[in-house]
Amino acid sequence: MSTLSISVGPQHPGSGHFRIMVKLDGDRIVEALPDPGYVHRGEEKLAEYRNYIQNIPHFERPIVHDSSNILFAYVSAVEDLMKLEVPERGQYIRVVMAELNRIIAHLYYMAIYGIFVGHSTMFMWPMGDRELFIDVAQMISGQRVTFAFLLPGGVRNDMPEGVKERAEKACDYFEKRLVEYEKIFINNPLFERRTRGMGVLTKQDAIRLGVVGPTLRASGVKADLRKDEPYAVYDKLDFDIPVSQDGDSWARAWVHMEEMRQSMAIIRQALKDMPSGPVKLNLRGQIRAPSGETFARTEASRGALSFYLVSNGGMMPYRVRLITPSFRNMIAIPHILKGLLLADLPPAFWGLDYWPVEADR
Amino acid sequence: MSETPETEQKPPERESKLVDGLTAKLGKDVLEVDIKPKRIKVKVKPERIKDAAEYIKNELGFDHVASVSGVDYPNDQELEVIYHIAAYEREDLRDLVVALAARIPRQDPKTPTLTDIWPSSEYSERETYEMIGIIFEGHPKLERLLLPEDWDDIPPLRKEFKNPGR
Amino acid sequence: MSEIRTFPDFVKRLVIVVGGLVILLVVLFGVLVNTVPVVSEFNDVLLASLSNPGVMLAYLDSLGVGLNSTIFRIVVFPGFTWAALIAAEVIWFERKFLAKMQLRVGPLYAGVIAGILQPIADMIKLLFKELTAPARADKLVFYSIPLLLNAIGAALLAVLPVSEAWIIMRSDVSMLVVFAVIGFAPITVLLAGWASNSKFPFIGALRGLHQMIAFEIPMLIAALSVVLLAGTLDLVNIVQAQSSIWFIVLMPMGAIVFFCCLLAELERIPFDLPEAESEIVMGYQTEYSSMAFGNLQLGVYIRFYAMAGIFTTLFLGGWHGPMILPAGFEIANQVEWFTLKTLLVMVFMIVLRGVNPRFRMDQLLRFGWARLLVLAFVNLFLAILILQMGWFP
Repeated sequence: MSTLSISVGPQHPGSGHFRIMVKLDGDRIVEALPDPGYVHRGEEKLAEYRNYIQNIPHFERPIVHDSSNILFAYVSAVEDLMKLEVPERGQYIRVVMAELNRIIAHLYYMAIYGIFVGHSTMFMWPMGDRELFIDVAQMISGQRVTFAFLLPGGVRNDMPEGVKERAEKACDYFEKRLVEYEKIFINNPLFERRTRGMGVLTKQDAIRLGVVGPTLRASGVKADLRKDEPYAVYDKLDFDIPVSQDGDSWARAWVHMEEMRQSMAIIRQALKDMPSGPVKLNLRGQIRAPSGETFARTEASRGALSFYLVSNGGMMPYRVRLITPSFRNMIAIPHILKGLLLADLPPAFWGLDYWPVEADR
Repeated sequence: MSETPETEQKPPERESKLVDGLTAKLGKDVLEVDIKPKRIKVKVKPERIKDAAEYIKNELGFDHVASVSGVDYPNDQELEVIYHIAAYEREDLRDLVVALAARIPRQDPKTPTLTDIWPSSEYSERETYEMIGIIFEGHPKLERLLLPEDWDDIPPLRKEFKNPGR
Repeated sequence: MSEIRTFPDFVKRLVIVVGGLVILLVVLFGVLVNTVPVVSEFNDVLLASLSNPGVMLAYLDSLGVGLNSTIFRIVVFPGFTWAALIAAEVIWFERKFLAKMQLRVGPLYAGVIAGILQPIADMIKLLFKELTAPARADKLVFYSIPLLLNAIGAALLAVLPVSEAWIIMRSDVSMLVVFAVIGFAPITVLLAGWASNSKFPFIGALRGLHQMIAFEIPMLIAALSVVLLAGTLDLVNIVQAQSSIWFIVLMPMGAIVFFCCLLAELERIPFDLPEAESEIVMGYQTEYSSMAFGNLQLGVYIRFYAMAGIFTTLFLGGWHGPMILPAGFEIANQVEWFTLKTLLVMVFMIVLRGVNPRFRMDQLLRFGWARLLVLAFVNLFLAILILQMGWFP
């Protein structure tokens, strides 16, 4: 059997900073090996040279459009070591930021998904609607993308007046838009024909490979750390975990779509229930975590994200181990691509919501 | 910043129950047990790590590896390898993380791979191999993952590796 | 001359070159006017036509390139220049229209109204880019493909009846000419992929080949039913046969089949597999740069216009339409109706691009062979039925 090997990436419109070495038999993929590392920054090493506060903007870099969620895990780890109790209002604001970030990241996902199946309108719409939520987040944090908003002990500042109205307005508008997205994209017969039953990851395989996030939930495992191990105030909020039993590329897009609805519900509730009070602890001087180790994880937009933090009591962490959801989902890439047609590679690959920068760290 | 005093608490019941079976099985080979709410750390002798892993998977039902980490302790001339293990299948265990650790000598950093028990540890082990130089014996594909192909320095997460420009 | 390093250098060089050329031309013209009789005659006509344009037209007629000459029809109207202009503005319209659909602005700055000069600006940009070819490409074939693609697009214009009076070449079998030319397109695409000597273009070319061959046959059969009803292979006669009722009313199924095949032949979304950018970069166009790419795009859009024109001719009654211009402008009315209908067909194709993702190869081939072919045959039998029962006047 003679095969044609092609490199999809790193200079390919359908790959990002990433390469998939594909072996083709005709038009069918017989082997697909991921080759990450093109945007490896050495975050873990660099973190050993920075103190706990300097690490905050630093750790946003792998996932700029999901910055609050990655910081959520980091500050949880630091707080766990320092035994800090965050004021309740701070926790609510954290949840609002995390969910805004989840919508922003999911919209990014929908946009790229659109262009990967050749649907240019679906590329432009989410990119435009993202602005709404970026604007709300900007109102809260003062930044548009890398918010650097969460600190050990709380959040950087309180919300200004009018955030609630702005967020409600954005959610009202976006709920209508989601229906349109469903009409033009998710329920488009051509799109369903392209992605239904394609790139299937069964429930057993999903558990065996330890995939996370929407990919896992699309395969029928109702696991979400916001419910399973409620951090911050997620246990006080009422929301659903969308689960699909299909495990195919279409189900992954659908799960992302439904999660945006749930995120909006969370934002509405959190803004409504938010108590008044301080938003952060008054920590003076250099933050120094006592020696010890901790393992903190949160549900980032792409799935469970974990920090393993070892401190020796110094100004800087002794060792930080950051495991991102994309890195954990990478193991599914060769698994689901095998046996597909080359034309299915972009939608199947993007269905996993694999973000090279996040995986390389 | 206030130092909260260490309060002597009884270890949580559910967590300690899980560990009891393991300590009973491995006996003296369990070197250290650290139990916090929702977090268990078990340090075992490196030659028994596979037995411990099998017990944790088959008897306790933790079905995937969330992270594999290596920590360098140059003062002790040791490397610590830590598997953080979690569960999907059993819903009552989903909030728990078991850390299975072993210390191996820095000069001869070899440990058996756990990919045959948890396939989900494949890429994490590969990364730990190249970043801190732990050799996982029996790993199906122990190759470079993130670093450039022409990397010829020591593994970068060892403490004696200094960042260029620092 | 010194090397260009900064922008002022560039402007200096531009002034020197353009100024030098102008001076050279003026001097040359001045010399020629006084020595060569043809040039001095042209000079006289030029001066006279400033007050009376008829003089210039008569002069051009006497040279054989006047408004009624074949050369004029080939080069200007309804030939290449006309098609190229429509192609350029359709590119603009497509971008602007899609932008509106996608809640964007689209081209905005080039040109006074809504970026209408954007295609021209793009062309100038492409002209100034470096022309490259892969090291091991078959250079001769590689560089001739854009021209070839232009040629096969433009060849269709030869038989396209824009109006009764404006047709470049009237033939009794112009329908066959159309299919001969369409059948040539897959070979061009395959040659483009092969000559690039690169993997993604080659995959794109193979896809193009499969797709075009699969959709040519239903297209042919759908057109055959039109030929049966009209009883002629001449496109002008086909249009005249539709003076009372358009064929799209008689054979909606045939029109749909033909339209789908048109989309596939033109490689437009949802059938743009040969150039699916997220899968195979840009298909057979991947390795082209600079004006070679520009020519390729021009060829694609000229073909777009020509094929939409053929759809208009076969199903939408060609130039027929109510008289909306004042009396005495019958020919202009026909041209305007033909252009309007053709543009409408093109707009409809652009809308489809806005709302659909693309097919996969196997789905596409199944659609072509198993659905459209069957429908085309059913339509053929219906056409025969209509003919036999005498329902068609």
